[in-house]
Amino acid sequence: MLSFIVRRLLQLIPTFAFILVVIFLLVRLLPGDPASAMLGDRAIDADVNRINHDLGLDQSWAAQFVAFVKAIATGNLGESIELRQPVLSLILQRLPVTLLLTAMAAIISLVLAVPLAFASAYNRDKPADNLIRGIFQFGLSVPVFYLGIVLLTFFGAKLGWFPVGGYGDTWPEHIYHLVLPALTLALTLAAILLRNLRAAIIGVVGAEYVDFARAKGLRPRLIMLRHVLRNALISTVTLFGLSIGTLLGGAVVTETVFAIPGAGRLMIDSIYGRDYPVVQGMTLALAVLVSLTFLVTDIVQAWLDPRVAR
Amino acid sequence: MTLVLPAPMARARRLRLGRLPVSLIAGGAILLVSLLLALFPGRIAPYDPLAFDYAALMKGPSWAHWFGSDNFGRDVLSRTIYAYRLDLEIAVFATITPFVAGSLIGALVGYAGGVVEAVFGRVVDAVITFPQLVLVVAIVAVLGPGLNNMFIAIGIVDWVYFARLVAAEVKVQKRLDYADAGRAMGYTPARIIFRHLLPNSITPAIVYWMTDMALAILLGSSLGYLGLGAQPPAAEWGVQIADGKNFMTTAWWMSVFPGIAIVVTGLAFSLVGDGLAELLRTRK
Repeated sequence: MLSFIVRRLLQLIPTFAFILVVIFLLVRLLPGDPASAMLGDRAIDADVNRINHDLGLDQSWAAQFVAFVKAIATGNLGESIELRQPVLSLILQRLPVTLLLTAMAAIISLVLAVPLAFASAYNRDKPADNLIRGIFQFGLSVPVFYLGIVLLTFFGAKLGWFPVGGYGDTWPEHIYHLVLPALTLALTLAAILLRNLRAAIIGVVGAEYVDFARAKGLRPRLIMLRHVLRNALISTVTLFGLSIGTLLGGAVVTETVFAIPGAGRLMIDSIYGRDYPVVQGMTLALAVLVSLTFLVTDIVQAWLDPRVAR
Repeated sequence: MTLVLPAPMARARRLRLGRLPVSLIAGGAILLVSLLLALFPGRIAPYDPLAFDYAALMKGPSWAHWFGSDNFGRDVLSRTIYAYRLDLEIAVFATITPFVAGSLIGALVGYAGGVVEAVFGRVVDAVITFPQLVLVVAIVAVLGPGLNNMFIAIGIVDWVYFARLVAAEVKVQKRLDYADAGRAMGYTPARIIFRHLLPNSITPAIVYWMTDMALAILLGSSLGYLGLGAQPPAAEWGVQIADGKNFMTTAWWMSVFPGIAIVVTGLAFSLVGDGLAELLRTRK
């Protein structure tokens, strides 16, 4: 197990290297340059040159790349053009909001998906199963922003059960403000997980070791938790980990809909404001976050199924 | 040595409509109607989708305007119908290049194996660490908003999923007897890969393509909503929902109907995907 974790940690090196290369090339390979994009129609050569110089875009690619990696290694992600603040401190300020939102959404989706997947699998092809699958099929086709607007209007504006946006000042307020956005974000993931977990449970229930556990006279609840759930969860854990990226992407949109001052909102605002260093820093932060999630996913998977670690 | 014919070379059984999975028929029917709306919006939509009518600002659904009218007096039904063209275009054009390029690359990677496959694995790992929406948004930030830039942005990420599916399948197929037979006949690797292995390995990619088109509609309308995809006043569902979002309590119809169009179309693509998967599984 330990050697597996070490091996998996070493794999992060090429992944991080590739992430850095992609983000580096993002500015340099694509047509158009950030300076003209930032200045828009008002661009004059002197300004373009000044910004290119500030961003180091007037040096050779090799020199730029070395400087880029060095800066990131020392935690220097540049300065926001719009907000006149270091990008790193902006990210550290906003990211916790997004993480709380994502965590709440992840918990809600598990709470929805796991019991319903059991209900669905144990009532296979009966009306209850079809109803649950129908509802979640719908969940797969609803865009996050649309669901958000509908929930916001109904539960926020019409019924007044939840605030219509913002983030509050205290922890209980934060969580209260994030209930609707997290629910919005959770539905798609819950649908993906439910679909997978249902299939996995159906596969596991037919396995010989479950028959054997039943023949031993184990209580059904124990069989369900210790044998069926644990084995059915293996592929679902992988899927869950892989979906964290999608969840973070969805958070970008959700934060915009619910006016939550998180990292996603910051990113979208930065794009409107042509604040290139912030966009670059956010992309880097989210990619690193996702690759760390993948690491944790793999370790959990190895713990659930020791064969993976070999 | 007896030559075992792989399943796809056996004569395909004739398909009867009654034997097709229900989901395929239902999804296919919805897509057919959607296609008609996309091809002939001018014959079906009652109004010009861009025409202002200051006599009918934000009027609720009525006989004159089935889906109501928006804050410029534009007919919501007509805009929703015209949007079929744009949103189906997004579904097809955003995914076709990744589908073709990804499948070709996947076939080569799967056949080559070894170092090529290991490098490819790392590339896949790295690409999927970028949340797709985040990377697409970042690319659009550099290129500027608009549909073409959105297609480029989606394509840069999306090919990986097709390549991975096809590579895995080719890896299995290349060990089968017919591939050996091809090699024994002295066929070039290119001929074996593209004439024989690829056609037998493309099924999972085609099934995923359906799901991917649904995802592209969701992504495209999300970008439209954020102001980074299709630009107003274009009739596009995401743009329409964004137009109506501030009027949800007073004129819900502006956003609700285009949203229903997204859900129905997305549902149709996933039904076709599910049905296709079921059909191809039972035929095997």
